[in-house]
Amino acid sequence: MPITLDRAVVGKAFPPYAVTVERGKIKEFARAVGDLNPFYLDDRVGAASEWGDIIAPPTFATTFRDDSLDYTAFLRELGTDISRVLHGEQEFELHQPLQPGRTYLCRAKVVDIYEKTGKSGPMGFVVRETTVTDADNEIVGTMRAVTVVRL
Amino acid sequence: MKYATLYAEDVDIGDELPSLVKGPIQQIQLTRYAGASGDFNPIHQDDEFAKAAGMGGVFAHGMLSMGFVAQALSDWAGAGRVRKLGVRFAALVRLKDVVTCRGRIVGTSSKDDTHLVEVEVWAENQHGEKVVTGHATVALPSRG
Repeated sequence: MPITLDRAVVGKAFPPYAVTVERGKIKEFARAVGDLNPFYLDDRVGAASEWGDIIAPPTFATTFRDDSLDYTAFLRELGTDISRVLHGEQEFELHQPLQPGRTYLCRAKVVDIYEKTGKSGPMGFVVRETTVTDADNEIVGTMRAVTVVRL
Repeated sequence: MKYATLYAEDVDIGDELPSLVKGPIQQIQLTRYAGASGDFNPIHQDDEFAKAAGMGGVFAHGMLSMGFVAQALSDWAGAGRVRKLGVRFAALVRLKDVVTCRGRIVGTSSKDDTHLVEVEVWAENQHGEKVVTGHATVALPSRG
């Protein structure tokens, strides 16, 4: 049964949420990827570096999730469910590396929904952008995620 | 050379990054990545769920492959140098796949003290099929 995505979701802004970067989480993430860079894993190397502490790998902000967000409910609002969605594209723009102990504010919104027909049938594309700011309200990074929905 | 300091003066358009070979992908790595990233979609863990969803079995998180590409960039340019990384997940990465990350410099620019390098990046499986394609911007220090 083909489904259709609810385009009324375009423009939806999620409530802002705060994340505090934990030192152990950076290391756990780097090890899970198998990226054993000492600037991510070694506190002494980090302390002696230009950043004064360890830094997070470039894709670490993917861990910035809103624990209070019901993702299943969001997919239902779109008109789909988890078994139909794939990660299509992802972009990170970072003005400075993310560091342990810092608290960042994330603001996410749905910026576009469109459909295309590919070799495996009709697909829906849901584009979400998340802006990450620090305590001075300076933008430290932005994330853009495209979720593909098999219609 | 891995982790060496790379300067803006060291790179030219057309240069290729050292390739980074990752894998073979094992289920335990997907489970670890789920815990580390918070992405617990059962499609990466539960073969029956993935088959019922029409995906033919479990496959790796796209974000894991993107992490591999980010590692290739950081191994080459140094940690903390990636300013932008954007990718498309072009094909699924399966268990036992070997993922090779590659890159090629397609542009350089300098403004004031900022030296940016534009890199075309991609990752391919053991059959030479591209699983990730994308673009990165890296900021390098100058020898001054």
